[in-house]
Amino acid sequence: MKRIEAVIRPSQLDQVKQRVIALGVTGLTVSEVRGFGRQKGQTETYRGSEYVVDFLPKIFLSIAVDDDLVEPVVEAIMEGARTGVIGDGKIFVSSLEDVIRIRTGEHGPGAI
Amino acid sequence: MRDAFATRTKKSLLYAIIVFASAQILLGSLSSACAGQTQPDPAGTATGDKNSAVDAAGNPFVVPEPADKTAPDYVTGKKAFDEYQAQAAREPLAMKLADDVGHVRISTNFSWTLLTGYLVLFMQAGFALLTCGLVRKKNAGHLMMLNFAAYVFAFLAYYAIGYAFQFGAVAVNAAPTNLGGVPTLNHFLIGSGSWGFLGGKGFFLSGPAYDAGSNCLTLFEVVFMETAGYIIVGAICERITFWAFLLCELFIGGLLYPISGCWVWGGGWLSQLGSSMHLGHGYVDFAGSTVVHAVGGFCAMALAIILGPRLGKYGPDGKPRAFPASNIVFVVTGTFILLFGWMGFNPGSTLGATDLRISIVAVNTNLAAVAGSAAAMLLWYRLFGKPDITMACNGMLAGLVAITAPCAFVSPTASVMIGIAAGVLVCLGVLFNERVLKIDDPCGAISVHGYCGWLGAVSLGIFADGTYGAGWNGVGAAAYLGRAGQGVTGLLHGDSSQFWIQLGGATLLAVYSFGATYGVFSIVNKVRSMRVTREVEIEGLDVPEFGMLAYPEDAVEMLTAGSMTQPR
Repeated sequence: MKRIEAVIRPSQLDQVKQRVIALGVTGLTVSEVRGFGRQKGQTETYRGSEYVVDFLPKIFLSIAVDDDLVEPVVEAIMEGARTGVIGDGKIFVSSLEDVIRIRTGEHGPGAI
Repeated sequence: MRDAFATRTKKSLLYAIIVFASAQILLGSLSSACAGQTQPDPAGTATGDKNSAVDAAGNPFVVPEPADKTAPDYVTGKKAFDEYQAQAAREPLAMKLADDVGHVRISTNFSWTLLTGYLVLFMQAGFALLTCGLVRKKNAGHLMMLNFAAYVFAFLAYYAIGYAFQFGAVAVNAAPTNLGGVPTLNHFLIGSGSWGFLGGKGFFLSGPAYDAGSNCLTLFEVVFMETAGYIIVGAICERITFWAFLLCELFIGGLLYPISGCWVWGGGWLSQLGSSMHLGHGYVDFAGSTVVHAVGGFCAMALAIILGPRLGKYGPDGKPRAFPASNIVFVVTGTFILLFGWMGFNPGSTLGATDLRISIVAVNTNLAAVAGSAAAMLLWYRLFGKPDITMACNGMLAGLVAITAPCAFVSPTASVMIGIAAGVLVCLGVLFNERVLKIDDPCGAISVHGYCGWLGAVSLGIFADGTYGAGWNGVGAAAYLGRAGQGVTGLLHGDSSQFWIQLGGATLLAVYSFGATYGVFSIVNKVRSMRVTREVEIEGLDVPEFGMLAYPEDAVEMLTAGSMTQPR
């Protein structure tokens, strides 16, 4: 089992969601986050004083999948999130020790 | 600890009741001692008779008997009086009808004055939204409470002493004839005749102020005072303690605003300089560019200096840092509510719908608002490459503040010019305060209300075109500058004395407000710091001062409060 996490543009969430669901993924968790990458934010003025917007709004999504779905899901996220402009985000894949469904107490891939 | 708190509260409550009761008794006996020929009219059944019936030009139906037999026009006056008497004896029904006409006229004006007063009251909501949107989210609850408490406590101070100080002698020189003249408010506490400094009747709205006409005036004027009261919020927010803020509000509602208000609107000395010193029509401020806004704005300036800038506003290099607005939607909505309320503020200041100048006042007010906003938007576009939404809103308010004094006396084109000047001044004022004076004013209150208020009163002395205000402040009722019906006239239309009195009066009010506030509150601040502690300011004032956040979703513990503790 793997956990796939991605930082994407808020505007691309819908595209990513449609593609991932089409692959048969049963669960998807998202949160609104802020951050920066190599671009390091941008400078604006407010009432005549300059300030730097370091942390731009992004969507952080997290999906748990069985091993056979890892490649297709990564592909789907890349397709849905890519605009070609700086700031499209990143995907992180890490291994997952166990998954437990709280209601029934099931363990392992069946609980995904 | 809790017991000590309870005893302290009980004790102070007891003191408050004793002071209140003794003041009532004292003032009750005072007002009955002063009771003269006219009685107050609490039922409203004696306000408005044939004496209030006038034609469109303000000529009265009742012809008074000329008193001065040596006057040159005594003979014509006596003849007119005799003819009126003869007609009155022939047609008693017409006299009865004139009583009705006079009563309907006063009733119309009551409705207008009260309704426009309610519009001004709604500006409180606009200001709360505007200031709340302009500050950081962590202080939103504090901001809302300041705006709310301003209304509550300043109102009580105005009820107890403010109204009497401001309007206790209004009938002497500035009787509001549109509301029946309130003849019972006729005594200066300090000064007399053309040199009144402080009104002295109507404390606790009792005795001579327990009158229908007087209360109509009270409702309208108290919401004006509240405007000055909430202006300060924009400059002192995010760092003032609640107790210090309450002191500020009591000071403004009870003393600062009513004293200068008496000089200009209560028939006081500043308004009478036309008749006493031949300076134009005396100091003229139609709806309060200075009486309300500059007094509030410069009071705010003094308080902002005493409090000092917010933590982190100026970096170690002395450069100002931006604390961006938390809610632009509130800022714009609040500004539009203020614009809407201003349609009561300015046209309502005629105190009567029978004064048809109200349509021009309303158009002028709107024109200055849009001109001010356009000027601020475009200037900012040029200076910084992007128009700033909050400065566009400040520009609209600047135009409104500036047109408030001259709105009744100038043409629509002059209003546009005044609005543009205000829109430019507010931008430069914000930058000047922030970069040169280093006064931290989160909402721009000093620039919008202080600087542009001063500008408004001075612009009246420049642009007033003489088409309105004949006989204003008792000057030139028959003719002015050699022309019958000539009203308040500015520099561009031939009366330089009006310009000088406007310049001097506006500057005096600004200095008075700044000086009095600075004097009183620098002492208060020495006795006990008016500012919250460093830790509180960093955390945000909402929880330390009031125990709750404006937006509970910001606190995880508040989210879980009231959730399920047992599974279903």
